[in-house]
This record gives sequence, C-alpha cells and structure tokens, in this order.
Amino acid sequence: MAAMTTSAVYIQVIEDVINKVREEFVNNAGPGEDVLKELQGTWEAKMMQAGVVIGPIERSGAPKTTPGAPTPVHDLNVPYEGTEEYETPTAEMLFPPTPLQTPIQTPLPGTVDSSMYNIPTGPSDYPTPGSDTGGGGGGGGGGSSGGSGTNNNDPKTGKPSQFMQPPSPWMSQRPPLDVNVAYVEGRDEADRGTSNQPLTQDFFMMSSGKRKREDLPPQYHAGGYIPQQDGAGDATSEVFEIEVSGGSTSLGGHGIVTSANKEMLAHSVRSCSKIPQLDGPIPDPYEDVISTPNIYNYQAVFNEDYNIANTPAPNDVPAGTPAVVAQNDVGEDDDDEPPLNENDDDDIDDVDQVEEQNTQHLVLAQFDKVTRTKSRWKCTLKDGIMHINNKDILFNKATGEFDF
Amino acid sequence: MATFELYRRSTIGMCLTETLDEMVNSGTLSPELAIQVLVQFDKSMTEALESQVKSKVTIKGGPILVGALHISLASHRDICTLTDFATMYGPSSYRMLVFKSEDNQENVGRVKIVACDSKLLTQ
Repeated sequence: MAAMTTSAVYIQVIEDVINKVREEFVNNAGPGEDVLKELQGTWEAKMMQAGVVIGPIERSGAPKTTPGAPTPVHDLNVPYEGTEEYETPTAEMLFPPTPLQTPIQTPLPGTVDSSMYNIPTGPSDYPTPGSDTGGGGGGGGGGSSGGSGTNNNDPKTGKPSQFMQPPSPWMSQRPPLDVNVAYVEGRDEADRGTSNQPLTQDFFMMSSGKRKREDLPPQYHAGGYIPQQDGAGDATSEVFEIEVSGGSTSLGGHGIVTSANKEMLAHSVRSCSKIPQLDGPIPDPYEDVISTPNIYNYQAVFNEDYNIANTPAPNDVPAGTPAVVAQNDVGEDDDDEPPLNENDDDDIDDVDQVEEQNTQHLVLAQFDKVTRTKSRWKCTLKDGIMHINNKDILFNKATGEFDF
Repeated sequence: MATFELYRRSTIGMCLTETLDEMVNSGTLSPELAIQVLVQFDKSMTEALESQVKSKVTIKGGPILVGALHISLASHRDICTLTDFATMYGPSSYRMLVFKSEDNQENVGRVKIVACDSKLLTQ
C-alpha cells in the first residue's frame, strides 16, 4: 500500500464510485446497468486520453470496463474513420515489408503453385496482406489468395473514393511505376481532347488488374488524408488561431487546399471523403475576404486616418466585388476595427497566459495548519492532488514554505 | 459525512464531470443522478486519498523570483468552491516553487493551490 501509483488510485476511485452508484442506476427506475457501464467506459476513456490512467492497468483492474471502455477509446484515437477502416490500416502497415520479402520467401514456401504464379504477376503486393497477417512465411500463398482477398476487401470498405486517390501513396512503393504509367495515359488522353470518358474507361480497365494495387494505396491515402483532416482539426485549436491572426498564411494554405481538391476531383469522381475538406476551405475564402480588410487595418493601425484612404487602393487591385463591399465596410468601421484587432490580440494572449497559470499547475488539498511569521508562510497540506508539469501526483501530506 | 468538492477540479474529477455533462445533455442521464455520482466521487476520492496515499511532499519557494503564487486558503464552514477561493485571495507575486516527493522533484514557476480546511470534514 505504501506506493500506489496515481493511476492505480484513480482506477480504484472509479470502481468505487461506479459500485456505490450502481444501486441508484439499477433501482428506482434508474437508467440501468448499461448507462452505468457507458459512464464508466467514457470516464475511463477520458482518463486514458488525459494520460493519467494507463490503459492496460485499467483493463485488468476493472473488468467491467471492457464493454464500454474500448469503443470510446478507439473513437477518440481515430474519430474520423470507423472501425472498418481501422482494421484495414493495420493490415496496410504489414504490407510494405511483404512486397520486399515476397520475392525471396515465395520460393521457400511454395505451398501453393498458383501462388507462385500470382506473385510475379504483380498483385503479389496486395495479396500479401491477407496471407501476411496469417503468417510471414505464407507470403507466396498470400499472393494467390490475395487476389481474391483484395477484391473482397474492396466491397467491404465500399469507399470508391479511396481507390481513386491512392495512386500517389503507391508511388513511394513498388507499384508507383505502374500507377504512373496508367496515370500518364489517362492524362495524355485527356490532353488530346477526349473528355472525362477516356479517364473513366482507363480506370475501369485498370480496375481488373491494377485496382487491386490501387485499392491498398487508397487506403493509405485515406489514412494520409485523414491525418491531414485530423491534423487540421487538431491544429485548429492551437495553430489555427495563429493562422487566423495572420491572414496571409491562411490564404496560402487555402489556395493549396483548393488546388489539391481540384486535382482530387479530377482524378476521382468519388470525393466523398474529400468533400468535408472542401467544406473546410469554403469558409476560408470568406475569411480571405474578411481578412483582407484586417490586413489593411493592420497597415492602418499606425495611422487610422490614412487607413480609409489607403484601403480602397489595395482593395481595388485584388478582388472586384468583395473589394467594393469591403471598402464600404472598412470606411465605416475603420475607426472601430483597428483598435479591436490590437485589443483582441492582447486579450487573447493575456487570457491564455492567465489560463495557463491557473490550469497548468494546480494543487488541490486540505490544509491542516497555516502559519505566518513575517514574510514566511508555512502550511501543512494533506490528502492532496497535484497536477504539475502535466503529471498527477497524489500526496498524503505536504509541507510548504513560502517566502513572500 | 461532509465532503469537499474541490477534488472535482482534478483530472479525474474533470473527466467525470465532462462525461456526466455529455450524458445529461444526450438525455441518457438525469441531472439528479449525475449530481449523485459527483457526490459519490467526492466521498470516494477523499477516502482514497486518506487510506491509500502515503506519499509526502514538500513544497518550497525557491530563492529565484520567477512567477506568481496563487495561494488560496479557505476556512469556510461550508463546502468550498473554487470561485470562493479565487475571490477571497487574489494572486500575489511569488517565487519559483519546488515540489519534492520521495522519488521525484518538480520545479514550477507558478502554481495555484486550492486548499480547504481539513477541520471542516471532522466537524
């Protein structure tokens, strides 16, 4: 008992609370056991996310958590993709090594003749996933089964968009060469003047043989794209604020995104996954319009009187219609906006600092005794929880000395 | 048994509060039941700290003036809340703090200490 880790204590507290509240949930027409499990699962998931509770210990310590806890945890880690996709990436992780190994391994296993044939053909990369998971040695066999397996996987995922996009990820791996060729062909035809039809045809043709290859890459792409989305979402809280303040940076990012989206659309008709991205960028243009006045305002901050005169000139050049509106708004609001911008920035900084000061390091405790001798304070604390340097530390007693 | 609500501000308490908020908002939990869970948490957390935690910590204000210590000591007879501390004791400039326990040491520039009078629990 001498040294119980913070995690262990927390787990015990969770169990204690859940057990003692169970009556209220089950009896008296309460929500029931399921809701209680949901509560426990979500609670523990949040604790794990906060890094205060260690996952494995929690599971072993609280068997009851298993039903509810795991699902929320996965959701938190991979909010964007469902469980289906979650499985696929793991297989993908295994894939990269297999292609390299397959050539060497194939002769050794030779379990299935058909597999041997399949491996050289090229689909070997794909088939490996299914077989690879089963066993590394079975890479050859994987090739044969992989052909069918990959086809099966596609319908499961049911996300064509992923397939279309994948070409780029494969580039890194062996298949890239083939994909590039197919891609070039499609582009050439498009350049020749043929409309989208040739592209679609090419893809269909490719689908029989090459789709398999592409299928995996799409998943990678999906993974890659997802991270971007996640990153953007995650970054929004931290980075976005900074970007918003600087209109120029945001503009550049948006431009890139839009171009990427256009390419995506051209390549694949199914851009469902990317559509959300489009939604993201869409607001940006508006921000750009809004941001432009801000930029001008910044320039004007030094001299408010000049702002009115200066703003119209720059606005005329960049954007037509929005500029007119911006001019009117700017002219009216110039006096108000510049100070607001300055104040806003200052306020944000101040708030952040204050919040950090208050929240980052916190000691919650009971005090037994507090004494002061001149400028020296002594206090005795007990039964406390400290959150210091992102670590939770529990203490039974603490003595503090502070010199003011 | 009287309990302090202050542990609700800890990581575990905040996680529970968030969870309860979500479940109440989604309609799966009644607010009354959520409060009961929180009260039970106050008890369980207090008991766990009393019975299972044995570590000792020393907190010292170092010689280097770095930040501000926000020390809040309340002697309410009632259950204390954070806002009460904040209003009663404003921030005051202070020095670097060193948190020492048996196995590790943490240096912190600024700390907020929220403490309730332990006598309140025994009364």
